[in-house]
Amino acid sequence: MSAALIEPEGRISEVEIEGLALMKIVKHCHDSLPSMVTGSLLGLTQDNGVLEVTHSFPNPDTGKDDDIDEEFQIEMMRMLREVNVDNTCIGWYQSMYLGIYSTTSVLESQFSYQTDMSPNAVVLLYDPIQTAHGNFCMKAFRLTEECLKMKEAAQNSFIKPSNIFEELPVKCTNPGLAKAMMLDWAPKSDITLDRLDLSTHPYLEKHLEFLCGWVDELAGEQQKFQYYTRHLARGSNKTKAGWESSEAPKRMESLLVTNQIRNYCDQMEKFTGGGLGKLFLAGGLHKEERATSAAASGN
Amino acid sequence: MTTLSSKAPSPSSPALLLDEGVDSVTQVIVHPLVFLHVLDHHTRRQEASGRVIGTLLGRRDGKTVEVTSCFAVPHAERGDEVAIGKDFNKQMLALHVRANRKEVLVGWYASAAQGEDGTDTDLIADTSSLIHEFYAGESDEGDPIHLVVDTRLVEDSISVRVFRSTPVMVQGEPMANLFHELRLTLESTEPETLALFQMNTADQAEEKSAEEPLLVSMGKLLQLLETASTYVDSVVEGKVKPDAEIGRKVADTLATVPRIRPEVFDKLFNDSLQDLLMVTYLSNITRTQLSIAEKLNASLGV
Repeated sequence: MSAALIEPEGRISEVEIEGLALMKIVKHCHDSLPSMVTGSLLGLTQDNGVLEVTHSFPNPDTGKDDDIDEEFQIEMMRMLREVNVDNTCIGWYQSMYLGIYSTTSVLESQFSYQTDMSPNAVVLLYDPIQTAHGNFCMKAFRLTEECLKMKEAAQNSFIKPSNIFEELPVKCTNPGLAKAMMLDWAPKSDITLDRLDLSTHPYLEKHLEFLCGWVDELAGEQQKFQYYTRHLARGSNKTKAGWESSEAPKRMESLLVTNQIRNYCDQMEKFTGGGLGKLFLAGGLHKEERATSAAASGN
Repeated sequence: MTTLSSKAPSPSSPALLLDEGVDSVTQVIVHPLVFLHVLDHHTRRQEASGRVIGTLLGRRDGKTVEVTSCFAVPHAERGDEVAIGKDFNKQMLALHVRANRKEVLVGWYASAAQGEDGTDTDLIADTSSLIHEFYAGESDEGDPIHLVVDTRLVEDSISVRVFRSTPVMVQGEPMANLFHELRLTLESTEPETLALFQMNTADQAEEKSAEEPLLVSMGKLLQLLETASTYVDSVVEGKVKPDAEIGRKVADTLATVPRIRPEVFDKLFNDSLQDLLMVTYLSNITRTQLSIAEKLNASLGV
């Protein structure tokens, strides 16, 4: 199982990703829209608490089991070893649809990575839809120690939803040659102006739609708890044992949903804040025009 | 009825016969990912080897070739001999195609070699022909392109060139390969541009504080408008000679601001404002609700 082959390393505090790995992830996620995809990350941990991601490769899109994926991964890593690419798998990446990441599947995968590979495994989440709106969105997450302990003990207890996933800052670095080349081949079109796009409606509509769906799910989970509590009250077992039994509804689901809803609220608020600013900017431009046209018609 | 018969080339035929097919490639489009990969591979090469090679993958549309990704191939060069990992190439290609079905082998890349004693070498070595022939056999069309990234660092910039090879015929026998250069364009899709931008600013942003990105955009817009307005003012005052081209462009830009009647605009404005405020209010309520639910959940079953 999780043998102590790896020397116990300190917890990392930052993730540095090289331009190459970043571009590969971006390309893969965008090429595969509208379906979501996953892949593996290769790199090294450094002593000063930084996790360096130097390479990445996509997982083939099967719809089936993970056995093929394992073989693919091993084969790929073996071949990359021959060309001197860092051989340690330090995490995985996934594209997320408009910020959805707090799901059971992500939790389970991340848990298995953190126990099998290394306690420093991270999951890089990239949001291709938000990037299309002008905000480059790539985040690194890992499970907190609290959450790990709880999962290992297989308890059905409570954990604060915001303490399930822990976000790590992501920095983008580039080796020297690449930096030199980037200075020559700097992108010609300036993308800072893309953010001033006024079309807020589709974005907000999507968010609200998803939010409704998640809230429905949360309501469903709450129902399950209610039924179970009633069942316990009617029965004769003591309350403590009742909650620890395997028939009790899993709390983690509702906690994950809560986390996701909170995340959505945060995202929406950030967006509306920006939207208000842009709206007033457009208003300002039109006021000027109104003043000049009034002056022109007056003269 | 005349019949065409193939004649043996007469002694007066030119030694150089460039065999231009109808479908020959004239333009190559490359994505930035490929460059980053080549540079990375070059940095990771073995101690002894001077340069590295690899396979290019992408699409071919008649006269244009679009290179979207690549992978490295181990090889060894000694004098005039070259050893390429053929099986490696086949296996990697199979693995890659599983992840991305639309890509095919379109050519190969190489970084520039460093001479052994520090002498300058050309971008295309003698062994390149052999490698090119190998790739010609692997690709579907038999006409692979050859990309060279100049990593010798003798000039001020890292230049990239792309070549196509044609056999040089002397009396019907191919004697050598002539590599001629093709036009290369660097293209990136919108998300790739964003990623590149992110990478570029990541170094400079360390000194600046994390400014609101929207603020940065607005500042930029203001700056652009100010520049345009000072230019127009100076033309009107006669300080700068008017340029019809720029004048027309400024007029076009101003015309893109849609002319809406004030009442219509006010209604639009207020509607959007109401929508945004409502969403903010909703999200605040939801968050408060969630905190309450959390507190309840925490006390449950304990």
